[in-house]
Amino acid sequence: MNTAGSQLIIAAIVGLPFMSFLACVFLGRRLKENAQYVSILAVTISLVFSVFALLWVAGVLPASGGQISFSVPWIGLGENATFPMGVQIGHWTAVMLVIVCFVSLMVQLFSGGYMAGHPRFAWYYAVVSIFTGSMLGLVVSPNFIQAYFFWELVGGTSYLIHGFYFERPAATYAAQKAFIVNRVADAALFIGIMVFWRETGTTSFSGIAEAAKAGIIGQTALTIGLLLVLLGATGKSAQFPLHVWLSNAMQGPTPLSALIHAAAMIVTGVYVISRTYDIFVQSPTAMEVVAIVGAFTAFMAATMALVQKDIKQIIAYSTISQFGYVMLGLGVGAFTAGVFHIYTHALFKSLLFLLAANLGYAVAGSSDMRVMGGLKSRMPVTYWAFVIAGLALAGVFPFSGFWSKDAVIAAAYEGGHYVLFALALLTVGLTAFYIFRGIFICFHGEPRSEDARKASEVPVIMRVPVVILAFLSVVAGWVGIPKGFGLPVKDVFGDFVRPDRFVQSMTHANPGLFSFVLAGISVLFALVGLWLAYVFVLARPQWAEALGRRLPVVHDFLLNGWYFDLCYDRLFVRPAKALGRAVRDFDLREVGGLVSGFGRGAGWAGEKLRSLQTGGAQNYALFILFGAFAVAVLASAQYSFIAVIVLVAFGLAAAAVGSRL
Amino acid sequence: MSEGVIPLQAYLIVAALMFALGAWGVTIRRNAIVVFMCVELMINAVNLTLVAFSDYLPKAHGAGSGYAVVVIAIAAAEVAVGLAIVIAVFRTRRTVNIDEIDSMKG
Repeated sequence: MNTAGSQLIIAAIVGLPFMSFLACVFLGRRLKENAQYVSILAVTISLVFSVFALLWVAGVLPASGGQISFSVPWIGLGENATFPMGVQIGHWTAVMLVIVCFVSLMVQLFSGGYMAGHPRFAWYYAVVSIFTGSMLGLVVSPNFIQAYFFWELVGGTSYLIHGFYFERPAATYAAQKAFIVNRVADAALFIGIMVFWRETGTTSFSGIAEAAKAGIIGQTALTIGLLLVLLGATGKSAQFPLHVWLSNAMQGPTPLSALIHAAAMIVTGVYVISRTYDIFVQSPTAMEVVAIVGAFTAFMAATMALVQKDIKQIIAYSTISQFGYVMLGLGVGAFTAGVFHIYTHALFKSLLFLLAANLGYAVAGSSDMRVMGGLKSRMPVTYWAFVIAGLALAGVFPFSGFWSKDAVIAAAYEGGHYVLFALALLTVGLTAFYIFRGIFICFHGEPRSEDARKASEVPVIMRVPVVILAFLSVVAGWVGIPKGFGLPVKDVFGDFVRPDRFVQSMTHANPGLFSFVLAGISVLFALVGLWLAYVFVLARPQWAEALGRRLPVVHDFLLNGWYFDLCYDRLFVRPAKALGRAVRDFDLREVGGLVSGFGRGAGWAGEKLRSLQTGGAQNYALFILFGAFAVAVLASAQYSFIAVIVLVAFGLAAAAVGSRL
Repeated sequence: MSEGVIPLQAYLIVAALMFALGAWGVTIRRNAIVVFMCVELMINAVNLTLVAFSDYLPKAHGAGSGYAVVVIAIAAAEVAVGLAIVIAVFRTRRTVNIDEIDSMKG
């Protein structure tokens, strides 16, 4: 795997989207709507090369086996401080590359129809390209510094996405909020990297893992570093307690949300944890915290999604919740189950967002469910795709989400985390309820607005990616059917993406674990949730209203996202503003006063000294001589006898001049 | 000629007195022409020290005399300019009393 050609192919996976970004930015005005072809071509080639990479590491193509790894020196600051840029592609990384490129391609195909006619069409594709490229760069990173570099690039680019419609104040607000919340997380991650670097003298993932194995880094430092990395991940992956930015971040174009939620920004957090998993497993405390944060976030976000009025908000909270599952899986030691859920989630979540984009396209740009209804007959493709995605999300057999989610839940049970298991199970019911509540409100019943009455199916270019993704949402999970299920098929995913021997020995998690009882219970929960959604939305809508009237406090609590925004506002935003005001006042009064005091003092002194400026040339000459004399005295004290003579002469002269003034 | 009859100090004292006298005149005399003469006196005091030093310091190789010649030339030029200014001032103000010329007053 060291031939220049193959390295070039791997580098092109990351490089091409960046080139497409440059092309769209600099030639955007000339390209106009042709920008999509440039960008789609770039990502398609990236996808093909990613498949090459996958086949290489899988050993299907010759010249490899195991890993693709190479690097070039980037910054050299002396011993223990050389930071290389490089590529390290293992099995999971290769799968991730394919996912990112594939989802990006689907989104870009779809966007050609969705964004048609928009004045910033080329800019849109520039943003998608750089965003995809940053994510790919992060995915292949072999060390923390490069990962951080692309991590920030992903975060910075997401600012462009959230703020794409910068004409709307809400969009700029959302962009800023996402940016600031992520700064907190990024700072934590950076400190974590510094902790590792200080303790081990390296930032490479494998180097840190080796150092931890060898005991070079103490258990306390390791745990602190990992918790900081986790805090960074909670920011990007919108996990508790840094999830607050995501629901605002629905302001960007909806297809981009599909990319963010399924394969990029929000995936980076859980991806980095999965990438550094051989470090994580060495700290039981950190693993425990990951599991708890994951399970709690899954449950919390699911409850928030129950009562939302906007379909995009529901799907956004669902992302938070689903990545909670991933975290739970990773935390309880089920690496394969966790990353399997990233993979299946990427497909059905990108589908859900593209469908939400379809709805917005059909109903005059709105994603508010109160203006929809009765769309089932008008948009059949969208409807059925939505049902498939909803079933996959809820984890109903045999859709893709079932296989991954049940693996996570089973691992939580098997690992003895019964509280987390119960939370996860409850969340399954909530998930089914909120997503089908959304589907029933949007597609069934009577149209609730004129736009909904006139809605029609979207153009073909937007239907194609939707159909592909819907198909995959059904079958994608079948590559990971566990051995215990009884079907005579191989667990392809589980065999391919499995942790190394060391991680296996640390986690004791049983890969391919499957229990019909657990799966049955979880599907039962999902079906109950689905049935409740049917009852509350379609069969007995008055019950939902009555419940909302009875429990307004609970309703508001959920609708406002557990009042996290309010808390953070009181805890951080207002004190920060008060501090800012205090500093401003100090600046104006104290610092400003001091400065203008100096100014006034200088002015006053100048006024006083003005009278020295007599205009008489002889006065000036006297001052010059007096100064020269003073310098001479200072310079040569031993010739003071000469000085005395000159002093007397000048004294006489000064007296003579002074008497005349 | 390092052992002259007259010691170096004598020259220097004379020069200092000439300089002081010149400086005194520059600072208190009213007539601009006299002020110029006093400036010349100061310049010549300096020339005296230069020549004396060049005579008494063997390593100077008489360089002081050369400098003195340069100073004399510059002094001549300066006086030419200075007198031109004095004449110009006299034409506009009808006086060369420098007490009365204070247009640079702050």
